[in-house]
Amino acid sequence: MAICTVYTPHSLNTHLGFHQKQQQQQQQHHHFLFYTRKPNNNNNNNRRVVNNSEISCSADADKTVVIGLAADSGCGKSTFMRRLTSVFGGAAEPPKGGNPDSNTLISDTTTVICLDDYHSLDRTGRKEKGVTALDPRANDFDLMYQQVKAIKDGVAVDKPIYNHVTGLLDPPEPIKPPKILVIEGLHPMFDSRVRDLLDFSIYLDISNEVKFAWKIQRDMAERGHSLESIKASIEARKPDFDAYIDPQKQHADAVIEVLPTQLIPDDNEGKVLRVRLIMKEGVKLFNPVYLFDEGSTISWIPCGRKLTCSYPGIKFSYGPDSYFGHEVSVLEMDGQFDRLDELIYVESHLSNISTKFYGEVTQQMLKHADFPGSNNGTGLFQTIIGLKIRDLYEQIVASRAAAPLEAAKA
Amino acid sequence: MATATVAIVGFCTSRVTIRGESRNTHVLKSPRLNNPWRAINANQFKIGSRMMSVKTKAAPDSISDKVSESIKNAEEVCAGDPVSGECAAAWDEVEEVSAAASDARLKKKEKESDPLENYCKDNPETDECRTYDN
Repeated sequence: MAICTVYTPHSLNTHLGFHQKQQQQQQQHHHFLFYTRKPNNNNNNNRRVVNNSEISCSADADKTVVIGLAADSGCGKSTFMRRLTSVFGGAAEPPKGGNPDSNTLISDTTTVICLDDYHSLDRTGRKEKGVTALDPRANDFDLMYQQVKAIKDGVAVDKPIYNHVTGLLDPPEPIKPPKILVIEGLHPMFDSRVRDLLDFSIYLDISNEVKFAWKIQRDMAERGHSLESIKASIEARKPDFDAYIDPQKQHADAVIEVLPTQLIPDDNEGKVLRVRLIMKEGVKLFNPVYLFDEGSTISWIPCGRKLTCSYPGIKFSYGPDSYFGHEVSVLEMDGQFDRLDELIYVESHLSNISTKFYGEVTQQMLKHADFPGSNNGTGLFQTIIGLKIRDLYEQIVASRAAAPLEAAKA
Repeated sequence: MATATVAIVGFCTSRVTIRGESRNTHVLKSPRLNNPWRAINANQFKIGSRMMSVKTKAAPDSISDKVSESIKNAEEVCAGDPVSGECAAAWDEVEEVSAAASDARLKKKEKESDPLENYCKDNPETDECRTYDN
């Protein structure tokens, strides 16, 4: 669904609205080209042609916004994706009628692709060469770049599928350019060409203690696993993780750090979490969230006379900081929400959270109360980042729609 | 509107060629409800992207086997040289199949539970998911 507006020197008030599928839309562009003064030879690149002419068209306004989400395996990427797509409305589902082991999720606005699909070595290949999936040598960054760029330029691609069950590369699946493309996986910010395509990037930084606790939760029930095997796996992957995955966080526009709580002395259960949302300053169309007074340093315990919290309570802090040489704002939450009024109380004291109505964060958290982290900072900050991405997307669309209008007036 | 009509016609005619049944019956009620084998049949002929694929239920068990196999293998590989690339790759495989097994468990659980409940988890605001106090 798109609206296309045509401004020609002859009829500045010509206004055409039509609703078409994307492929048809592109053909319409060719059509319109004859309207303008100079026919352009560069017919296979519609976008550029449209940009240079008087036509301000949906192709540009609809140009795919690309979001990158980096995290290690088992660190909450899928939960984050479900929260993000939920903010945009409608559930994300695997492509209908396709490979049942496809890693792709599609909703009305958003397509989420898993970067494991760009593995150049399958499971056997990695075993033979002695490289992990974390190693860049096991991944085809050229293809990743080409395909993400193509989608961003409005061109559908046939993306490979890495089958996590068999460990093989399956026949490719078609990916049509969505409004928002999320690329999630181990390396969305590793290759500078891919990184430059991202309109916004997020890194989920899970501390070793919490990673261990989460993997125990995930794997202990599985036959063959033990505390030793879970530990051994984390340790064996760590050198590659430190070399290739972790350094990407310096490029992220937002980092969600997940650490053990400081509210309970010597806690190593990993149930209560201290979560930090690190937001880069000066990112276009992204205004960091703040607590009470933007740019000040604040420590806040919401539990008191107005709000009663149960053990171990909730503690927030906020302030400016530096992260890999970048100026950032950091919002931190330690502890967990036990009741609804705690969450709404906290939400009402945060600013710049890009909600559309009072209580939207709380509503989103309640809607997915069964997702992991819905009672702590991981769920809160994932939801807020989801709202910030919606806001960013809406700003991009609005600015694209406004720019040619101004040009036409001038 | 036009595209939808085309899709239905295409969908039904192709099924007619195979089963030689009247078009209306297919539009009005899904044959899969009463004759589940037809879904498998249709799948073999790759008709329509709307058909859900029929998957065997064995998957989660075989993944579980893969997890325990991969752990045994990693322990063996690393016994010789704990800092080799092969050792890291072997434990990386453990991580990968463990994650796949966890996904399969979740999928299986969702499949076995009420589909309406699953749908409503993601779409609680829709009409069919609303609950009323009285």
